[in-house]
Amino acid sequence: MAQDRPVTLAAITGAHGVTGEVRLKLFGEGVAALRRYRAFNDSSLSLEKLKDDGKGGAIARFAEVADRNAAEALRGTALTVPRSALPPLGEGEYYHADLIGLPAISTTGEPLGTVVAVENFGAGDVLEIERESGRRFMVPMTTGAVPEWNEERVVVDAAFVEA
Amino acid sequence: MTRSVWKGPFVDGYILKKAEAARSSGRKDVIKTWSRRSTILPQFVGVTFGVYNGHKHIPVLVTEDMVGHKLGEFSPTRTFHGHTGGGDKKAKRS
Repeated sequence: MAQDRPVTLAAITGAHGVTGEVRLKLFGEGVAALRRYRAFNDSSLSLEKLKDDGKGGAIARFAEVADRNAAEALRGTALTVPRSALPPLGEGEYYHADLIGLPAISTTGEPLGTVVAVENFGAGDVLEIERESGRRFMVPMTTGAVPEWNEERVVVDAAFVEA
Repeated sequence: MTRSVWKGPFVDGYILKKAEAARSSGRKDVIKTWSRRSTILPQFVGVTFGVYNGHKHIPVLVTEDMVGHKLGEFSPTRTFHGHTGGGDKKAKRS
């Protein structure tokens, strides 16, 4: 897995106030997790201040953004960090971003397609796999359904493969 | 109004039969169901259902803390699917 691959943690949704602060939409684990990173987008944005907006997002101030006009110009910018900057994983753990895009094969060796999403509807993580035909099916991220995965592929038990 | 206790939990009979057959045979494939209204019983723990959400069957691996809920609660019909870039979200395989 490419350790320098950029991982998107948040996106700037607009300006906040007149002093150059921006509103953020978070894609990761929340404000506390975002706070551990100081620089984004190949160090082109340096985080100075970050606070929770109380509505699931965050408000940030970057050293390079001095006024509201500059903040408005950043609307839509994705904040990325290299994959290598993410904290190390424990045994059996995985980042959603690592699984997305991996090819999936069945335990019988049949190529199944590509992992396009990792969802959680309250009953554990579910991998969504898209076949080459465009059809999609879902597989629970459990020991029985996904016996193994690595940087190159995800192996899905043949019993969980939908035709 | 809540359901009367004397009636017991509602569950479609065929689900009960399929789940018990799957448990006794040790089969681990997904049991497809359209019965979102069925209550999750203790007998279902460890079984994976594919619960229909009007569009597709969402795999639901039943665990102990899901007992008493309905199958449909774990297969949302109106979920917003955007922005699944992953971010720094991490999880552990169950």
